[in-house]
Amino acid sequence: MEHEATQLEKQHVHSVYENTAAYFSDLQTKAWPRVRNFLLEQKPGSLVVDIGCGTGKYLSVNSQVYNLGCDYCEGLVEIARKKGDEVLVCDNLNLPFRDQCFNAVISIGVIHHFSTKQRRIKAIKEMARILTPGGQIMIYVWAMEQKNRRFEKQDVFVPWNKALCSRHFSESNQSGDKGEFVHTAKGQDIHSAQLVISECSYQNNLQPDFKQSETDSKHSRNMDHCLPRACCMKISEEENRFYSALGRSFRSWFFSRSLDESALRKQSDKMKHLKHEGVWASSTVPIQHSRHCSLDLGHHGALLNEQSLDDDDDVFVESLSLKKPQWSPATDALKDFSLNGGHQSVAQSKRDKASFINGPVEDRDCTCGCNKDGDGKSDASKLFKRTSTTDSTDSALDSAVSVGDPTDAMLDAKAFMRYYHVFREGELSSLVEENVPELQILSSCYDHGNWCIIAERRG
Amino acid sequence: MKLLTHNLLSSHVPGLRPGGGFPLRIEAAEVRVRPVPFNAAFVSRLVPRLRWDALREAAESLGRPSELPPEPSPGYEADEEFLRRLHHVLLEVEVLEGSLQCPDSGRRFPISRGVPNLLLSEDE
Repeated sequence: MEHEATQLEKQHVHSVYENTAAYFSDLQTKAWPRVRNFLLEQKPGSLVVDIGCGTGKYLSVNSQVYNLGCDYCEGLVEIARKKGDEVLVCDNLNLPFRDQCFNAVISIGVIHHFSTKQRRIKAIKEMARILTPGGQIMIYVWAMEQKNRRFEKQDVFVPWNKALCSRHFSESNQSGDKGEFVHTAKGQDIHSAQLVISECSYQNNLQPDFKQSETDSKHSRNMDHCLPRACCMKISEEENRFYSALGRSFRSWFFSRSLDESALRKQSDKMKHLKHEGVWASSTVPIQHSRHCSLDLGHHGALLNEQSLDDDDDVFVESLSLKKPQWSPATDALKDFSLNGGHQSVAQSKRDKASFINGPVEDRDCTCGCNKDGDGKSDASKLFKRTSTTDSTDSALDSAVSVGDPTDAMLDAKAFMRYYHVFREGELSSLVEENVPELQILSSCYDHGNWCIIAERRG
Repeated sequence: MKLLTHNLLSSHVPGLRPGGGFPLRIEAAEVRVRPVPFNAAFVSRLVPRLRWDALREAAESLGRPSELPPEPSPGYEADEEFLRRLHHVLLEVEVLEGSLQCPDSGRRFPISRGVPNLLLSEDE
């Protein structure tokens, strides 16, 4: 299990960040307001460490404290170093620090990359170990519950679109989680790259004083208006073509079988039911089309009309029917792009496994959100059964990859899929309460598609 | 890598006796000194967090005569000269190239371009 976990993380966390680090070099980055505030509240002369610092965007927030950053990814650490930050390369699971030496620790968008519960616990325990009694830790992880949607499963692969992250971007902001590129909402001045929206990074362009950040209510939701803003962009011809080339499969999620789950499955082998198995197999494969801000959806995600999808979507149906999104008026130009382009590129795939995508595509009038449509559902389940018989269920990775089509762009997505374990409401708190007694939770909240907790080292 | 950072680092090679990983021995191939604005209050607050002996040892291993007393004397908070010397050692001296050696296991961790790499290999 441990070996599987490290292999999964090596392939779908570490090597992705390492390979894409170069694309971060000339980006402007912004810090999440709550994290900034947490850092600014630390007393002058404090020792503060950012575990999983990436390019170091939090390392210059508070100059009155000693900021140290560390990350597993050398490429990202290099970038931080060039900015003059004090950084090192290390492993969250084995922090090279003496006990109880830091006044504050931040872990922003990091532990959701650990593929088993035990590793996530170990990461938190390590961070607790290096905290001085009374010291505080802030942890941010991606939430399963996103603004209007939920991830269907907690263990997902998020495609990384290298093509959209090239260096000619004039300006973009990086969101709270490394690797997302954000639109700066500049109206006319838009590069295709900026259309790749991931996080609700639009908020980064709004004032930092969100009312929400002042309320520590667990259910504080961001009443953001980022999507309408995004929808008002004009897209150029060039960008149309650019997007056509990408294919829809870019903006999909791939579900991974949770390594925790797979361990449980082995144990309950004697009790398997065929029916259950069918469902299970299908769940290793599906592509969830999600338009959530905090997910690496790219432009497509951001432009979907919010009202067009219900919360109880059957995501498999939705994605496979490849519905045309209902664009806001200003973006009519996009209607013709990629979805059809994407179909074609997928249809041309010689891979058997991709063929199931063609099934529902033909002749379907793509309307978003008709998820309560019975036909849709049964098509999807048919598809999945078909898929599950052709796919090997040996590894979630194989399944996910097999869905793809071998164009360049798709290869990038396949090559750079990042693994995430997204957290349910309360999961992070429970994880700490039940497994890390040395920490006492002070507060928890929902922020920009993340669950956030602040905890204090007891003692 | 600044000496303040070094003071916080401990080897985590598996199987060490408690405390056996600290302090890491610095083998410096390239050292740089770069001015950093002095902030007396900041430096003063750092003092209780430091492992003093390790700090002195580190400063000496860089070939710098130890400008630090064997331990901080009472009233150090108001002793600007002391604080300035401490500031210099902690924040202005950087190891750019070299390695850090675990005292107990002998395992070396490289420092390159100012960045120490404390990752263990998979089989460790």
